[in-house]
Amino acid sequence: MHFLAVSLRKDWARALRDPSQFAVALGIPLVLAVLMSLVFGRQPATPQGRLLVADEDHSIASTLFLGGFRREPLSKMVIIENVTRDAGRARIERGDASAFLLIPQGLQQAFLMNLPYRLELVTNPAQGILPQIIRQTLGIAVDAGSYFRNGGAPLIEVENVALHETKPARSFAAVFLPTSLFMGLLFLASGTAADIWKERTAGTLRRIASSPVSMASYLMARVVFVAMLYLAVAFAGVAAAQRLAGMPVPNLPAAALWIAFSGTVFYLFFLWIAVQPATQRAASVLANLIIFPLAMLGGCFFPFEWMPTWMVTAGKLTPNGWALSQFKAILDGAVDSTRLATCAALLAAFSALAFLLTVRRLRSVFAV
Amino acid sequence: MIEVDQLRKSYGTLTAVDGISFTAHPGEIFGLLGPNGAGKTTTIGCISSLLTPTAGHVRIMGHDVVREGPAARRVLGVVPQEISLYDDLSALENLNYWGGTQGMRNPLLRQRIQEVLAITGLEERAREPVKQFSGGMRRRLNFACGIVHQPKVLLLDEPTVGVDPQSRVRLLDLVRAQAQAGTCVLYTTHYMEEAETLCHRLAIVDRGKIIAAGTLAELRALLAERDLLRLSGIFHPDAARAALQPIDHSEILQADEHLLIVALPEASRRLPAIFSALAAAGAEVRGTTLTQPSLESLFIKLTGKELRE
Repeated sequence: MHFLAVSLRKDWARALRDPSQFAVALGIPLVLAVLMSLVFGRQPATPQGRLLVADEDHSIASTLFLGGFRREPLSKMVIIENVTRDAGRARIERGDASAFLLIPQGLQQAFLMNLPYRLELVTNPAQGILPQIIRQTLGIAVDAGSYFRNGGAPLIEVENVALHETKPARSFAAVFLPTSLFMGLLFLASGTAADIWKERTAGTLRRIASSPVSMASYLMARVVFVAMLYLAVAFAGVAAAQRLAGMPVPNLPAAALWIAFSGTVFYLFFLWIAVQPATQRAASVLANLIIFPLAMLGGCFFPFEWMPTWMVTAGKLTPNGWALSQFKAILDGAVDSTRLATCAALLAAFSALAFLLTVRRLRSVFAV
Repeated sequence: MIEVDQLRKSYGTLTAVDGISFTAHPGEIFGLLGPNGAGKTTTIGCISSLLTPTAGHVRIMGHDVVREGPAARRVLGVVPQEISLYDDLSALENLNYWGGTQGMRNPLLRQRIQEVLAITGLEERAREPVKQFSGGMRRRLNFACGIVHQPKVLLLDEPTVGVDPQSRVRLLDLVRAQAQAGTCVLYTTHYMEEAETLCHRLAIVDRGKIIAAGTLAELRALLAERDLLRLSGIFHPDAARAALQPIDHSEILQADEHLLIVALPEASRRLPAIFSALAAAGAEVRGTTLTQPSLESLFIKLTGKELRE
């Protein structure tokens, strides 16, 4: 404990002598987000959504019925995806589309024989505009069909089921900010990890190795400092994002804690990377080779919302992808405690492994 | 006390330290003298438990550095060859940190910091960042960080490299003061004159081995009080050897086409005879250097080569 206090005092003194590195790492994404917020406003993002259709009639009538969605400008705003009834229900429950339309068997027969018929439309309340457009377009198609066949008396009804709202509509900046915050966090972690090279070049690491302090204690003290630093930076960053760019933050301490935890995990990962090469230059190149694809894939350059499905699936398997998904859940106020605990445990295990491997590397090669 | 017993350190096929043994006692300055690459820093690395010996044992105040590493390091102070300080921190902050790593706490640490700042002459600049210090001041602070916890054993790895003459004198005085206070000091250097003026006992190291050890007087005795005559010019080595053979008590340490090194007593008095003999052998002498018996001449005698800088 005594060494921890001594080490923290030294690390804070060093950090406060040159706070610019932290300001730059967090300042860039924040400035970006504020600019985007100014350009695009705090209104919900430009509508673009997905209509899941379970067509169980498979008839000419059902194809014609959906024709309205395939014409511009609606075709640019709504992507139609054919699904089964069960898959459609499951995906709309997850909020994975703007609406789900079920066309049960018998549409064509009902149309031809003037029989009553019911369509089922399930809309996503998290999206404000698109479900309305879909509902209205569907209404027009139903009215036109009824008018054409029966002179206006409604034969086909649309049963609209609106799910309970799980996600508030988010502004452009709110979609982009978690991404940019995590991008800043990745670069901050990589920069903090690179400090080990300064210690090596300055000879202080070697001096530590010849002191009674073990490498594990030295590294643990560094990790504690990094976690404290990131917590302070996270509080400032999230509060600024909330205030300046309108990012919704229902639970500021939880959001800041999660950023600090994720940043510490990234720090340990990048530290392990930093101590592998024989030269500082090679370490820098290696870190850049890793950070860019990792950020790109894990939703830290572009939000998951803007990425293709296959990329989102792959991205959510990366450590930053896990961490970012849970951060968004915290921002949405929709934390699944089991999923959060699982993610935290996986990240903790990942960082523990990085810690052990780094200590081993420091002891055997890097610090001597 | 430092006890080194048959220490060996290899890196693959390269043996950096090859069976070194010595003992250094409290209050003594024990010098490890040798050229760059002789194995001095590797020896220090093994003693400070930075490196794990391939074979042999090192004990510091009775603690084996491999099996009882933390206990051994607790009584050890190290002043590395490179300046090992936090540039962005002040002298005071550096001393606080390095004292803290040795388990020192206030108020003892605060008191000790004031003492080492005073003896190293850094009191007035104690709160300035180290990056504003001159090279000599950094060296002194580097030394201060190694002694802040009053170690029983002090390892100094070429602490005066690149230091101005004034700072060097001051540093050597500090080393003497440590030994006088009862600290066991192990001092490595490749400066002969430094070793001669500072060390109570010496071991001369070359290619990872100790080639001579003892007090300065014992080592000088190995030269039998002979001067060292270094002649440069153009020589036929075999002819030069033959020409100098008749000169009493002379020993040719090195003979090649451009350099001739001869150890002999009263060399200055016998120079005319040597020049005549060499001229008769077809040699052309262009330069002459005569040195009194020293560690340098001993090193040349033992290894057949000059101490490299």
